[in-house]
Amino acid sequence: MTGVTLSNVIKRYGETQVIHGIDLQIEDSEFCVFVGPSGCGKSTLLRMVAGLEETTEGQINIGPRDVTRLDPSDRGVAMVFQTYALYPHMSVAENMGFGLKMNGHPKAEIDQKVAAASKVLKLDDYLKRKPKALSGGQRQRVAIGRAIVRGPEVFLFDEPLSNLDAELRVEMRVEIARLHQEIGATMIYVTHDQVEAMTLADKIVVLRAGRIEQVGAPMDLYRNPDNRFVAGFIGSPAMNFLDGQITAGDVEVPGLKETVKLPVTIPSPGTQVQIGLRPEHLVMTKGDTHRVELTEALGGVSYAYLVTPTGEKIIVEERGDERSKIGDMVGLSFETDRAMLFDTQTEARIR
Amino acid sequence: MFPTPIEKTSRSWQFTYQSLLPLALIMWLLPLIAVAIFSIKPAADFATGNYWGAPTSFEGLTNYMAVFTQSDMPRYLMNSFLITVPTVLGCIILSSMTGFALGVYRFKSNLLIFFMFVAGNFVPFQILMIPVRDLTLQMGLYDTKMGLVLFHIAFQTGFCTLFMRNFIRALPFELIEAARVEGIAEWRIYWFVVLPLMKPALAAMAVLVFTFIWNDYFWAVVLTQGPEAQPVTAGITSFNAQFGVAYHMLSAGSIVAALPPVAMFFLMQKHFIAGLTLGAVK
Repeated sequence: MTGVTLSNVIKRYGETQVIHGIDLQIEDSEFCVFVGPSGCGKSTLLRMVAGLEETTEGQINIGPRDVTRLDPSDRGVAMVFQTYALYPHMSVAENMGFGLKMNGHPKAEIDQKVAAASKVLKLDDYLKRKPKALSGGQRQRVAIGRAIVRGPEVFLFDEPLSNLDAELRVEMRVEIARLHQEIGATMIYVTHDQVEAMTLADKIVVLRAGRIEQVGAPMDLYRNPDNRFVAGFIGSPAMNFLDGQITAGDVEVPGLKETVKLPVTIPSPGTQVQIGLRPEHLVMTKGDTHRVELTEALGGVSYAYLVTPTGEKIIVEERGDERSKIGDMVGLSFETDRAMLFDTQTEARIR
Repeated sequence: MFPTPIEKTSRSWQFTYQSLLPLALIMWLLPLIAVAIFSIKPAADFATGNYWGAPTSFEGLTNYMAVFTQSDMPRYLMNSFLITVPTVLGCIILSSMTGFALGVYRFKSNLLIFFMFVAGNFVPFQILMIPVRDLTLQMGLYDTKMGLVLFHIAFQTGFCTLFMRNFIRALPFELIEAARVEGIAEWRIYWFVVLPLMKPALAAMAVLVFTFIWNDYFWAVVLTQGPEAQPVTAGITSFNAQFGVAYHMLSAGSIVAALPPVAMFFLMQKHFIAGLTLGAVK
């Protein structure tokens, strides 16, 4: 088993550069998730690791081997596609064993590996079926099985759960996590769903426009984002941002109708900033500064959508028996060390 | 619903429809019906001018037997098969490969080559009559089945490539990528992944080309002469030879000649299964 190293990896399509020099170290048997909005280059980056896209510049290493110019088949990777990409004319067992069969492995060995994989993925009852007779979740399991039988050093997942319905997605998420525990191989997983990223990853790589915004463990990114983009991307519902201005060592936030003292290095007065507050760190109090526009009761928690006096929108998480109603006027309070400050111009975190 | 089902329209319209439809149908099929009836008439009926009346005696069996025993028809039919089948095979083999190359690989002149295949279809083949005849003469292929086969393959492959390439383009490309990541050689991807999925296209293509080639008259006349190499479409004219036109034989021969394409269509029908790729993706 081996890790993956990207050094200054660049991808250009003609004149257009889409990946701008990525450096990344993925450890052995780590579960690494590339996350970012659509078009950020996460799938491209994964396909470059797979060898399906050519790397324009830079170097990709799998373990000690430089694989930058190798064919996909020589890289020791297996890939699971968003669309499953099962061979429709072959049964489940044939689908899983096809790669081995084509590369001249003996039949007994193939059968044994397929049986082992189908046991792990609970596909034993379906081995004789064609893909069209399977449900979406089963198809995705076959696609994963096809990757497992080859015993690759690195598993690559390209948004594998995007085509499943919400319930199956949760189920398969757990399944993939379990699989990672069992197999212990290095896995790279691409998704635009931050919940998948948070729940599965050992390490999250947040990408935007072909650049890495931040790399870290899920909770580190959640607690300690480097910039406004990461802060807004990680966490659900997203962090609230309110415009503010620095006044003599304090932050004046019109949206809260108050001036906040934050335990950070306050920049020079007059700087435009944004204060970031997570919905779960806000508490509603008696007051008349904010109006409740809408509430979503999910059972254990509710999300109240508030409008500030300045017309900005804030989401507040509510627990307990007392919940707000539409049209209520409320105040807000929070612990100042939970609030984060970002420079409006550079979007960087002010610590 | 549109159009309104006929059962739901007014009584008078239903009546009009039900009487006009068979009429139109008969008018349309009249030439075929005439040929069918001619083919069971005795030769004497044509001598006495009984073209459109009922046959004076039923000679179907005799006529059809005569087609096979007293004429060169079996020879011509054989020629037709020996020309059509290799052409269909050649076209399908070549065009599935060119289609794969043009549909799967990205290379500089891909589009240019593809457009050349397409453009070839727009050249009216009649203007090539003399050069092609000269060419076959020089190559010593004039009046041979081989000459016709080679020529037909060359001409049909353009259209088939267009068809195949577009079909392969419509296949999910992830299938090919998945196979590549699994380390499957390109020719094996073609053979074991793409070709099985192209079965409906291959079947449709085969029927189409079979019909084209079987029914070809123009090139059969230009490039061949006599029972040595001529296919049935050209050979059938030997019935209007020096002793006048043997209408009954001509008709019986025509019907025999028309059967293979029809049979081909019904045989291949079960292969036209749409949605064979169902279950590949999503």
